[in-house]
Amino acid sequence: MEALAPFELEVARLLVETLHLEGIAPEDIEPEAPLFGEGLGLDSIDALELALAIAKTYGFQLRSDDQQNRRIFASLRALSQHIAQRRIR
Amino acid sequence: MNPAWTQLPERGNSTALRAMGWIALHIGRPVGRALLYPITLYFLLAATAARRGSQRYLGRILNREPRWQDSFRHIHCFAATLLDRIYLLAGQLDRFEIDLHNDQLILDQVASGQGCILLGSHLGSFEALRALGVTRHRLPLRILMNTRHNQGITRFFQTLNPELAQTIIPIGGPETLLQLRENVEQGFLVGLLGDRVAPGEKTVRCQFLGGEAAFPAGPLTLAALACCPVILFFGLYRGGNRYELHFERLADLIVLDRSQRQAQLGDWMQRYADRLAHYARLAPDNWFNFYDYWGEDAT
Repeated sequence: MEALAPFELEVARLLVETLHLEGIAPEDIEPEAPLFGEGLGLDSIDALELALAIAKTYGFQLRSDDQQNRRIFASLRALSQHIAQRRIR
Repeated sequence: MNPAWTQLPERGNSTALRAMGWIALHIGRPVGRALLYPITLYFLLAATAARRGSQRYLGRILNREPRWQDSFRHIHCFAATLLDRIYLLAGQLDRFEIDLHNDQLILDQVASGQGCILLGSHLGSFEALRALGVTRHRLPLRILMNTRHNQGITRFFQTLNPELAQTIIPIGGPETLLQLRENVEQGFLVGLLGDRVAPGEKTVRCQFLGGEAAFPAGPLTLAALACCPVILFFGLYRGGNRYELHFERLADLIVLDRSQRQAQLGDWMQRYADRLAHYARLAPDNWFNFYDYWGEDAT
């Protein structure tokens, strides 16, 4: 299994903590696996909670009308890249 | 799976629906209403699963063994509200007598400028609320709807009233609730129906009409995360041209502790289920969930 980059691990920790993913260790999340639907199996409620946690931690809002949402939410890696680009904290 | 086969029933439905729409708008409501009898009879005979769902529900609400006449009346009530939906969407509100109960709650909420969750159900028709609210009162309303299910029906109703169609938010990808929260922040009344669970959605279990059923966890979780009030609404069809809109406050603010979240959500949703049962008893034929609601077929 591929090891996570340091920032991916940080985002993975935020994910597990925010969503109380039981029985999942941050370092076990596959960086390229889908977060929603199959893969981690997150849903729309999780997406909202995650967006709120990201706003609090990294100081920017994920918007629902962002054309890139599909890509942003596609995987831990994509999400981490997006946060790294947009963060102001 | 043959794609043509899977699309056939839907296409048939929407053709019949367009024909019905034409009759309703060009010939008149009495003829449309007369046609409801053969249509109801057809569904009573052909839609076996729906009939079984109806009988299951009626047995609980009537507290006796339901007869076929009960299901006929039940399906007929549903068909009547579908017909009226055409008029409501076409803006012909004057045809109807719509009794409002506690509507001050909504007006005050709008005046406050703060958005809220309007939690409704498939008991009766939310169309009277939508038509009255948007067309007449210009209320800032958004309604979350499953548009993928029944696409033909949805398209048909959308062509009737493009302005109202814009108030619909389709259930979509992970960003759906994100959008709803933004709408609440912008001061919209965001309408959700709390009595159906979408596939894969998180649920809570509630007591409802003497049995346990699954209710969606989403609407009240959203209310908690958006820190907004929750107002219940019920749009009952009372026969003839009469509708009743009831509004009740469920919560000013829902606060969930992380560790007891599921239990607290369950408690809040139970209050919703209790009110739903209350209004179902007032208007038993208004229950438009024609499926195995309590999951009894599996056991």
